[in-house]
Amino acid sequence: MRRLLSFLLLFVVPLFAHASDYHEQLVLRPLPLSTLLASFNFRSNISFSAFEAHNFRLFPRSLGQILQHANTHELHLRFSLGRWDAHSWGARPWDGAREGGTGVELWAWLEAETDEEANRKWRTLTNALSGLFCASLNFIDETRTTRPVMSFQPEGNHPNSTTENTHLLYGVLPHEVVCTENLTPFLKLLPCKGKVGIATLLDGHKLFDASWQSMAIDVRPRCPESGECVLEIEQTIDMVLDIDRSKRPRDNPIPRPPPGHELKCNTSKEYYSDNTCYPTDHATNQDFSLSQIFGKLMKGTCPLADPNVPPVCLEIPDSRNVYTTQGAQEKKNPDGKSRCFEIGPDTDFELVVPRAEKNEETPDVAVEEIVTPETPLLYAERSFTGHGQERGGVQTILRNPSPDTEVEFIYMETLPWFMRIYLHTIEARIEGDTGKSPSLIQETYYRPAVDRARGTQLELRMRIPPASTVFLTYDFEKSILRYTEYPPDANRGFDVAAAVITILNPDQNGTNFAVYNLRTTSLLCSLPTPDFSMPYNVIIFTSTAIALAFGGMFNILVRRFVAADEGPEMGLAARVKERIGAKFGWIAELVGKKGKGEEKTGEEKKG
Amino acid sequence: MSARRPRDNGAPADTKAPSDGAPPSITAGKASASAEMSSGTRRQPPPEKPSDIRRRTWVIFSFWVIVVCLGLPIWWETTTIYRANLPLSEMLDWADGKACRPVFPLRISIQANSLHEQEAQNLLRLTQHALDDLNDFSGHHLRLQLSPPATKESDNEDDAALTIRLIPGESTTSTLDPYAPILDITYPPHSIPSHTSSSSSLATYVASQLRSTFAEEQAIISYLLSSDSMPSDHRPQGLTPEAAESLSKRTTRSLKYAPTYHLTFSLFTSGPLPSSWDIEAAIGEYMKPVLDVLSPIHNFTIDTQVQLYATPGVQNHVLSKEDLSSFINAAEWPLSPSIGGAPTVNFIVFIGNQTILGNPQGHAESGDHTSQSWLIPQWGTVYLLPLPSDTAHVSAADLKQPMLTFTSHLLSLTGTPQSGSLPLRLSTLSRIRSADLLLRASSTLGSLARLAMALPSISIPRSVADGVSKTISHLRLACETLGGADGLAHARIAEAEAERAFFEKSMVGQLYFPDEHKLAVYLPLLGPIAVPLVMGLLNELKAWRKRRREKAEEGEKKKNT
Repeated sequence: MRRLLSFLLLFVVPLFAHASDYHEQLVLRPLPLSTLLASFNFRSNISFSAFEAHNFRLFPRSLGQILQHANTHELHLRFSLGRWDAHSWGARPWDGAREGGTGVELWAWLEAETDEEANRKWRTLTNALSGLFCASLNFIDETRTTRPVMSFQPEGNHPNSTTENTHLLYGVLPHEVVCTENLTPFLKLLPCKGKVGIATLLDGHKLFDASWQSMAIDVRPRCPESGECVLEIEQTIDMVLDIDRSKRPRDNPIPRPPPGHELKCNTSKEYYSDNTCYPTDHATNQDFSLSQIFGKLMKGTCPLADPNVPPVCLEIPDSRNVYTTQGAQEKKNPDGKSRCFEIGPDTDFELVVPRAEKNEETPDVAVEEIVTPETPLLYAERSFTGHGQERGGVQTILRNPSPDTEVEFIYMETLPWFMRIYLHTIEARIEGDTGKSPSLIQETYYRPAVDRARGTQLELRMRIPPASTVFLTYDFEKSILRYTEYPPDANRGFDVAAAVITILNPDQNGTNFAVYNLRTTSLLCSLPTPDFSMPYNVIIFTSTAIALAFGGMFNILVRRFVAADEGPEMGLAARVKERIGAKFGWIAELVGKKGKGEEKTGEEKKG
Repeated sequence: MSARRPRDNGAPADTKAPSDGAPPSITAGKASASAEMSSGTRRQPPPEKPSDIRRRTWVIFSFWVIVVCLGLPIWWETTTIYRANLPLSEMLDWADGKACRPVFPLRISIQANSLHEQEAQNLLRLTQHALDDLNDFSGHHLRLQLSPPATKESDNEDDAALTIRLIPGESTTSTLDPYAPILDITYPPHSIPSHTSSSSSLATYVASQLRSTFAEEQAIISYLLSSDSMPSDHRPQGLTPEAAESLSKRTTRSLKYAPTYHLTFSLFTSGPLPSSWDIEAAIGEYMKPVLDVLSPIHNFTIDTQVQLYATPGVQNHVLSKEDLSSFINAAEWPLSPSIGGAPTVNFIVFIGNQTILGNPQGHAESGDHTSQSWLIPQWGTVYLLPLPSDTAHVSAADLKQPMLTFTSHLLSLTGTPQSGSLPLRLSTLSRIRSADLLLRASSTLGSLARLAMALPSISIPRSVADGVSKTISHLRLACETLGGADGLAHARIAEAEAERAFFEKSMVGQLYFPDEHKLAVYLPLLGPIAVPLVMGLLNELKAWRKRRREKAEEGEKKKNT
């Protein structure tokens, strides 16, 4: 993948950037465990002069206006869902540069004279984007905004004059659920609107059913060596589809056990017979077609797109057969691991990848079914440790799989203010190493949280020796929120944003600052949650207590105490008796007897 | 139960004492009828010591003092809602039109270089007379003045709304200069009135010409005033229902006044072509002149976009009048309003050969759409542009007709009157806009005042009071300088301030704490405390009255004995 990308970036982009202002491509890559990675990439340009004059053609006006209004030079917006399973799927697409943590992530370089102005523009930007993408981006307030120092570098070419006044702000909403309402505005930004081209395959039912998906919007200025600077918008959607799941018909989506004759059995087991079956690894050897996994055919190509960039590429070994509709030309790439398809403008495109056939002549040599995924530079997992409602800990396990190269990276955490971390407990140790390894953390940038005003920002530059696993741990304290600060579903817990890991280029003089990005999963932190009817209970309870105490005290102070036989008769009973007695004497007699009886008992008790 | 009973028994003991011949004790309350029923076993409680009675009085008194002097002020202090003082009556006066009588004194200078001073003065007096006779609407007043017989055009650059140039000629004719606010009137030499005559055909003619020139403006202003809650004496009588209806159509069509408008030009096409257009050149050529002319009143920002594969909301090839309202596919077309507060005017060129079906009379009458375009009130214009299907680029020449349509629709959307020369129309527009803003700000003030009166529990922050006072001061200034450029500026500020005061965010806080809540919170505390306090006070008062009466009786007895 990376190779193909670099191939594309190195050759395709510079060559055709001037020829066409729009380019789109879909790359399909089968992954192990019966999954398929589909990467959609759309890129369009607008020249600076047209942008200044508000003449939008391929670049979406709605987004352009927001950028102009908020003086934003570079913008990165991510909507993500699910988890990238690095252990089986390998390295991430685009080297992790086009993905975000679960939820919504936004970072942008704004031009502003002062920090306050930057904050104001950031608020404008988040509010406007929130309206454009139907996401709760407006909830990115001061407490969720940080200004990363080491982790992010601008991707575009910024003129030197503006760099001093450019502010980088980063906000993340881990709780946001990405769904169809975010995809629709995303498609509206495309010049061909999802009506033709690869965007026709994008469907909310399939996209949000994926095991992992990430929608990215990147806007950056790009100045070619010759010619005018352009503002480039790149929209990317990456999704990992479970082929089995996608192939289920939409009208019958409930999985059912396959009938006996359809079971795939492992025939190499010695107990294999007609009535015993050890199912083979379901992951191997899947066949799929575009219409099966996306639910529809691809409708032609976008006429605005660069004709030199093939719209669909498939990363699969050359040895496997692939069938397409007529009119599509297959072009195999020289590396033997991928092929691309040229499609006519008006043809409905279908792509069928059948099951890998065993080679008849040499049945012992297994046919290479898929391109083996590359090993990522680093594995990272993060989890909570500890127990109870008061304190907790975070543990990140970072593993460098490479046998011979060190990996240097920046680990960034943005924690909500109600997680108060104890910085002195930060500890990084290599697995199996008993003592501390002080050389692991090379540099720390820490900006402590301010209650209700800003979150914690922690950036660590770390270096992990080859083939080792590092445990990075720290403790924190959970604070108690105010009554009104709890969300309606407070017992669900509070999402903690993913940690961002930026792996640095080993040779620092390279143009590429970050060679690989990855994000851990987000965490769910449960805070002590009160019973929300409590204030009313407290009011009622204290009121009752005060009233009782007051009434008693007041009566003691005010009333006069006499002996039981000195006072008049029981007030109410006596009065009722008298009233009734005046009219119905016989009832009065009856009641009188009873009343006397009561009095007697009263006196007894008093005595 | 047993612990409380003695107290319960004790309570009536203070007030109710048997009166069967026992000497009236000081503690005895009112004679109880139940005493008749009391059995012989009951004894009288010993008379209470006066010091005890005094102490009880002090106790009750001090409790009440604490409650009244400490409790009530604290409660009041902590729960009171801040309500800034608003000049409510003044605000209502503005809303009712009592505070300002919108008068537009229009000065019209007469340039009569070929006339003698005396003759000119006489003509002026007669014309003014004729005008005053014709005018039935006091709010709109034309005042004539004689401009000094200047020779150079630049000398006449005063703030007269219109200049009449009297030129001797063959017959009585009048022409309106299309580029300047000048009315040229030619007159035959014999029609100059002598200084003794009381009427003159020329004077009447000039007056009627002036009146017809300003008829539309007068109608619009009088319509604005009448639709607002102006007192009836300000209302003009000469507004026919038909005229009022057409005026109301026009005013609903025009956009709300804003200092800046965003103009968005969009090219929509249902297929992949054309994907580019020469919009910049077309705007520069066909639209920019009008925008420049409008610039003293409005600022404009322009953006353009191209949208392919746009399906209209109506797929019919022939569009009926009902289809026009649903033609804009609001769900799919990215016509989101611009950010930054200013309203957006949308101009859409849709590439397609749909035709509009409608009764031609309707079109001719309302004049708001030709066969290819229609105006959407307060929103913008759609123009259907048929082009060959393989056109990849729309040239500026193709855009000429759409741009001209857009220009005329823009004038109508901004509320510019339809008759007269352009400079006159624009100066009229500024006067109409100031009147409109003035009335709008006044009615917002009125709404705010009514809101403040209707909701006594709404909080009124200081910023609202500040906004109101600013609005009123600017309204006053606007009212004084109505008709001039300052008037528009002041009315603009007043309107903005009034809107800001009305839509103050912190004023809606009360919604979250309704009175039922307060009741639920107060009742458990105040109920059980108030009952013993009040009962104690009542009993004490009763006892005190009783004591006084007995004292008086005793005193009388003593006197008698």
